[in-house]
Amino acid sequence: MSNGKRLHPTAIIFKLMYSIKNAIYVAIPPLIASFGNDFFFWVIIGVGVLFLLFVLYSVVDWLRFTYAVVDDELRIHQGIFIRNKRSISKHRIQSIDLTQGVLHRIFKLTKVSIETAGSNQGVDAALSSVTFEEGKAVQDALKSKGPVVETEEEQQEEPDYPKKSVTNKELVIAGSTSGSIGVILGLMLLGFSEVERFIPESAYDEATRWILALAIEAILGLVIFFLVILWGLGILGTVIKYGRFTITRYEDELFITRGLLEKKQMTIPLKRIQAVGIKESLIRQPLGFASVYVEIAGGEVKAGSRTLLFPIIKKANVEQFLHEILPEYQEVPTEFTKLPTRALPYYIISMVFLPAIITVAVGIFLTDFIYLPIILAIAAVLFAILKHRTHGSHISEQQITFVTRDFSKDTILVKHKRIQSFEKRQHFLQRKQNLATVRISMLNNFAGRHESVSGFELEDADHLSDWYSLRKRAIPNNSDEN
Amino acid sequence: MREAPKNRIAKDALKAWKLTAIIVMSVFWALTIGGFVLVYFMDWSYWVISFIAAGVAILTYVTVFLIPKIRWRRWRYEVFDQEIYIQHGILIVSRVLVPMIRVQHVDTKQGPILKKYRLASLTISTAATTHEIPALPEAEAEELRDQISVLARVDEDDV
Repeated sequence: MSNGKRLHPTAIIFKLMYSIKNAIYVAIPPLIASFGNDFFFWVIIGVGVLFLLFVLYSVVDWLRFTYAVVDDELRIHQGIFIRNKRSISKHRIQSIDLTQGVLHRIFKLTKVSIETAGSNQGVDAALSSVTFEEGKAVQDALKSKGPVVETEEEQQEEPDYPKKSVTNKELVIAGSTSGSIGVILGLMLLGFSEVERFIPESAYDEATRWILALAIEAILGLVIFFLVILWGLGILGTVIKYGRFTITRYEDELFITRGLLEKKQMTIPLKRIQAVGIKESLIRQPLGFASVYVEIAGGEVKAGSRTLLFPIIKKANVEQFLHEILPEYQEVPTEFTKLPTRALPYYIISMVFLPAIITVAVGIFLTDFIYLPIILAIAAVLFAILKHRTHGSHISEQQITFVTRDFSKDTILVKHKRIQSFEKRQHFLQRKQNLATVRISMLNNFAGRHESVSGFELEDADHLSDWYSLRKRAIPNNSDEN
Repeated sequence: MREAPKNRIAKDALKAWKLTAIIVMSVFWALTIGGFVLVYFMDWSYWVISFIAAGVAILTYVTVFLIPKIRWRRWRYEVFDQEIYIQHGILIVSRVLVPMIRVQHVDTKQGPILKKYRLASLTISTAATTHEIPALPEAEAEELRDQISVLARVDEDDV
């Protein structure tokens, strides 16, 4: 058949590393178990033989893997015993991205990931290691833009597409306010100021108290030191992961490059975007920062992984950002239909339920520490109030916007046509009080996303349902696209 | 979503649900009777087992008589040209709108109990959710399935 090209020999190393990574859990227990006794020697030999087999396998696998671009198709032949020949038509390809790990970058190589529609990983393809020029060539050859546009593009070398990059300052802010590190830090500091109260007075006399206090201070210092280090690592991690983050808007796709050590590319066809979210975590919200993400249908299947459109941005600039990069979603409402006050008790009850039980339990068994769960319960009440005040909705012609809060405040923008189904719920108390819960379902790269807000005024909920109902929409005017 | 959907599901759904609940409860009763036998032979106190029997009796009443009745009374559906409208729920009443253009496929299903009463259930799937109308007369379910599948056949190239 056709003479395909081989991957760059470093593909052997990647394959080998991959195999070893999978086998390591099997190899470690016997190694540890036999450490120091007579079998150790044999186990070492076994592992060595296994390693050689892996090397052999990786080499043969490399020898048997060829690819070629023929007539608008990518053809891949692979497999040692079972030969697998796959052709992917360029018209079916949704995105081709070049990713460079550290090793790739040392040798000026790249990985080419090819994604087709559908979320089945088995259908997609990847060239684990080719030279960068080759990867670029494959990418150009398979981009389904049509030859006319391609030549045009090459001559002008990228006309003025909207583009936005992250600055170093933003990165540091993103890192220092990222994730749980900050929360842990705050909680720990708060917790340690209380620590001395935990030691009952009668437990030790003056002398030991002094030593103990010293020890506690030392431990405290150590822990804080440790946390600061963790925090620093968090910042470093963010800088490495999102360093040189750039997002570019083309006609019908978004293109993201990021990474300081590992360079990643990602193409998001606009068609696949199901919703845009603006997330403000508890630490970022008071500082006025947010991150912008999208829910995408299909693609890499990973629970809870959202694709960031921008790692950190001033909340006030989000609208401007969307206006430039994703004008389809540029409408970020500021006024929301809020929940009536009589919905508040349900929020409080659901939040306080657990702390209340804990309070009772502690009250019975550990009466001395009763103040702890009570603090927790008060925090829960405050949080419930915060939640109740945050939640809301907004509708415009084509878009619904929900604001919700778990811990972070999440503003989610969804187009009418991206909502798969709409649900209004009332339990018997809500029925009596004319309240309702609204839930909308949309598609994403995992099991779908179902966003619900409880405690709407019934009239407001019905207003939302009228907005969603195609039967009722059909009367004023026909919906237009996007 | 101000008014409830118009159509009720088949009256026989009540019988089918009752039968299902009776089958489940008979397992509990068998266990309870087994418990009594054990208590008799082992000469234990009847206290605990009587308590359990009372619990099972209440559960039987709730699952065989109460729940099917409320559930049936609550279940409504209506199929429009543009969307499907469903109401269900016992304590929490839920009303769902599924636009026809979002419907990916429709199935009818029939287990042995539904078959006995010539009923079938209809399942409507979108890309992110599934919805079931639990007990319709066989012929009606099939007719509805075909009707929905025709209505859902709207040209829309995106997801």
